Amino acid sequence: MGASLLEFHVLLALASGALHGYAIADRIAAESGGTLRPRAGSLYRVIARLMSEGLLAESEGEGEDPHPGLTRRYYALTSAGRRTLGEEARRLKQAAAAAEKRLGLARGRS
Amino acid sequence: MRTFLRFLVRLFPPSFRSHFGSAIVEHAAIECERDLSRGRVAALRSFLLTAFDIGRSAFSERLRPSWAGVPIEKEGTAMTSSFNVDGWAAELRHALRTLRRTPGFTATVVGTLALAIGTIAAVFTVLDRVVISPLPYAHPERLVFVAAEAPGSEMTGEFGPAAEFYLQYKEASRLLEDVGIYASFTNSLRVGDRVERVRMGAFTNSLYSTLGAQPQLGRLPVASDEDRVAVISDALWRTWFGADPSVLGRSYEMAGASRTIIGVMRPEFQFPSDGTLLWVVAQVRAEGLQTGQFGYNLVGRMAPGTDREAVAAELTTLARGLPQRFGGSPGYARLIARHRAVVRPLLDEMLGPAARSLWILFAAAAIVLLIACVNVANLFMVRVESRHRDLAVRRAIGASRAQLVRLQMAEALVAALIGGALAVCLAGLGLPVLLHAAPAGIPRLADVSLSGRTLAFTLLAALLSGVLCGGAAAWRGASPNLARLREGGRGSTRRRRLGRDGLVAAQTAMALVLLIGAGLLMRSFLALRSVDPGYDTRDVFTFQFAPEQASLKDGPSWARFHLAFLDRLAALPGVTSVGIVENVPLDEGTRGDRFRGEDMPDGPDAGRPLNWTFAAGDYFRTMAIDVVDGRPFETADHLSVHGNVVISRTAAQLLFPGQRAIGRRVQQQGQKDWHTVVGVVEDVMQYGFRDKPQALLYFPLAGPTPTSWSITTPAYVIKTARAEVIAPEVRTLIRQVAPEAPMYRAYTMAGLAARSMVGLSFTLLTLGVVSALALFLGALGLYGVLSVVVAERTREIGVRMALGATAAGVRRMVVAQGARVVALGVAIGLLTALVATRALSGLLFGVAAFDGPTFAAMASLMLVIGGLAAYVPARRASRVDPCESLRSD
Repeated sequence: MGASLLEFHVLLALASGALHGYAIADRIAAESGGTLRPRAGSLYRVIARLMSEGLLAESEGEGEDPHPGLTRRYYALTSAGRRTLGEEARRLKQAAAAAEKRLGLARGRS
Repeated sequence: MRTFLRFLVRLFPPSFRSHFGSAIVEHAAIECERDLSRGRVAALRSFLLTAFDIGRSAFSERLRPSWAGVPIEKEGTAMTSSFNVDGWAAELRHALRTLRRTPGFTATVVGTLALAIGTIAAVFTVLDRVVISPLPYAHPERLVFVAAEAPGSEMTGEFGPAAEFYLQYKEASRLLEDVGIYASFTNSLRVGDRVERVRMGAFTNSLYSTLGAQPQLGRLPVASDEDRVAVISDALWRTWFGADPSVLGRSYEMAGASRTIIGVMRPEFQFPSDGTLLWVVAQVRAEGLQTGQFGYNLVGRMAPGTDREAVAAELTTLARGLPQRFGGSPGYARLIARHRAVVRPLLDEMLGPAARSLWILFAAAAIVLLIACVNVANLFMVRVESRHRDLAVRRAIGASRAQLVRLQMAEALVAALIGGALAVCLAGLGLPVLLHAAPAGIPRLADVSLSGRTLAFTLLAALLSGVLCGGAAAWRGASPNLARLREGGRGSTRRRRLGRDGLVAAQTAMALVLLIGAGLLMRSFLALRSVDPGYDTRDVFTFQFAPEQASLKDGPSWARFHLAFLDRLAALPGVTSVGIVENVPLDEGTRGDRFRGEDMPDGPDAGRPLNWTFAAGDYFRTMAIDVVDGRPFETADHLSVHGNVVISRTAAQLLFPGQRAIGRRVQQQGQKDWHTVVGVVEDVMQYGFRDKPQALLYFPLAGPTPTSWSITTPAYVIKTARAEVIAPEVRTLIRQVAPEAPMYRAYTMAGLAARSMVGLSFTLLTLGVVSALALFLGALGLYGVLSVVVAERTREIGVRMALGATAAGVRRMVVAQGARVVALGVAIGLLTALVATRALSGLLFGVAAFDGPTFAAMASLMLVIGGLAAYVPARRASRVDPCESLRSD
């Protein structure tokens, strides 16, 4: 599902520290090998949902503001978010292993 | 650009917007700036995608908020729970994708539903505007139309009350707040050089207050105006007077007298019929009133909290006192003793039989929609069967029943909604066709158009169809048989075959009911067309004009004018014969009075109530009315006022029972003159082909009394093969002899005949189209189901053929399976039709609601079509190659 994949990538992008929205989008594009490039509306909806779920929180950012007078919001993982990301990564790894195993079997039979 | 983005962001719900709005705008703006470096086209494309994304997200956000307002501090949330919130939206997206993958299936489903929903949406639009929406008056539910009946008296059926009823009701009724009388007629309106015959109403002043109507300009008439004033319609005000407010107070010649315009009614005020352009004052006074002049239209406003039965009972009682108060003959008193008031909603009276036709049509369209839903439901059932394995797997790994139901319903709903959207377009296209075919005289038809209510109805119909279509499949798919995972999910179980066969039988039954209805109407139509009304409507043109010249000062001079004009018409090329009649059949009614033969006693109740008119020229020859005895009129008959008379066959029997009428004399009640019968002609049907032939007296052109001529407007009839095209030449002739007189009521008699049957032909046409649609959809459903059955049984059939079954045997087997289902449907349909066709009884003619031949013919048609629909899959089955079918495993 697109949304859930995007949720995973948002969590992943924030694993190494707080980022602002635009940087999250850049990071996701890089980490997904260019297959995902969320546009503003979708991205902030996912961020909102993850915040409502308690997996993200707003935080103080360390970067300089590009436009004076316009504060940028930064987002960071909560501890719950960090744990969920770990669980999800494990689940994906297992699923991937299972898929490889099964594909190998199928190849062997034909 | 930012302004535009900010505007777009407003689509989000406020709570979301206040938190993330500026960040989204900022984000999108930076993105655009960066995209600009990649070229203008790419930037524009990207910007549009971003804008679309914002819109889409905002829409989803409103449907399923992801922002709860406050972030929840939660420990150990499982990722999966947040992944499932997609719910319906995800199913809908999934459904859309699935439908896109199977374009053939989707086109069939969406097309079927669009056709059926479009049909019912168009019919609903007309029904809603014409029948359902209330009259544009205050508390329209309290408005009633009052008629009278007197079983066992001379007056047969229902008739309009007389003026004294109005006076009595108005003064004494406690249950009617207000009462008014109206009449509708056409007469001349002259404004400057412009003279036209227009439709007018004559209202008592109390009718305006009864209806609760107010003018948009000026005032309503009051008693002191007497009958010297008129109120005009919004349409007349705009077209003739350019919406000039100074028209108030000006006087024009209307209905033969100069009247002053005192008010302009609102646009929605169209009483008693659409196209009434002005209203003059009808005065009813107790002084000098002659009782028993029946035929008035009476409208009342019921007091709050009373009902029609109570009002009818009160009015019946009030009428009993009439002979005592107003006098009248003993016959009048006898009639009053039997009189009963008939009270019904005013809207019913205005709609007449149109309401019933529209409801029948609506019911038929609903049946077609049901049939379409059954078809689509069957298609979805088949699909769910083919997906059985997939569903069983889903169920096995923990999908809830609700999720599986959702999965099935989503697809049906998406298909139905797309079908509904197309249906609105179809209804928009079909509505003008429907309106064009509709009979004239249906009130309020002019302002029928697609409305918000149509859209709401279409949406409702689409959602309902979606639920109906997806319901069966969802129910089936929600509890997949897990055991069948093992057996590989093949073969058709008895249970699901029963379900499908039941649906096919049901739609066969519904289609048959519609077919029988259409068949009955068809037979009525043919019966009406073959009725002999006593005259021939082919190749006859009729028109009227009313010369107003100073030289036309008495009966003979007036008759001479018209006889001279007859000669001019007869000289037109291609004209076989011409004649004049005061009231041309199928267009106008004749007058009634009492007449006695010379052997009958005199007195107020003497003689017989008979209708009369007058005729001249070759009227009987032009209309092909047989002269059974004596002779038709000659020119000399018209020029002396007290002259001869021609009477119809039934009139002769009534006036001179058992005797030859020629040479005998007839007298009209209250007149001194006697008229001598010179000819007897065949009876004619005056009002329509459902009528009884009427007993009629024909007077010479100037009428029965010395002053009759002055209130008459005769109709000319011309027998010519050029009836359709002769009107311009006639108009030129009229302009030569009477430039002041407009030509009006110009028709071909064939056109009048068609008009008299239009209520029936409209219902026949629309019901015919709708039932053809039902037949087609029903056959399609049977074909679809049998195709699937054959596909499912390919292996079985292959085995049978391998074991020696012949191709013909296999065909028989499949056709027999279809035939059993169709036969069941036909049986149910016949039983249903026995009850359902009663709704048509008012429209039928010359055929009973239960007409054996029609029932048999339509049932056979259904069986034949069913057989054909079954034969195609049967042929396919008989071509199964045993080797192929067994290898396919």
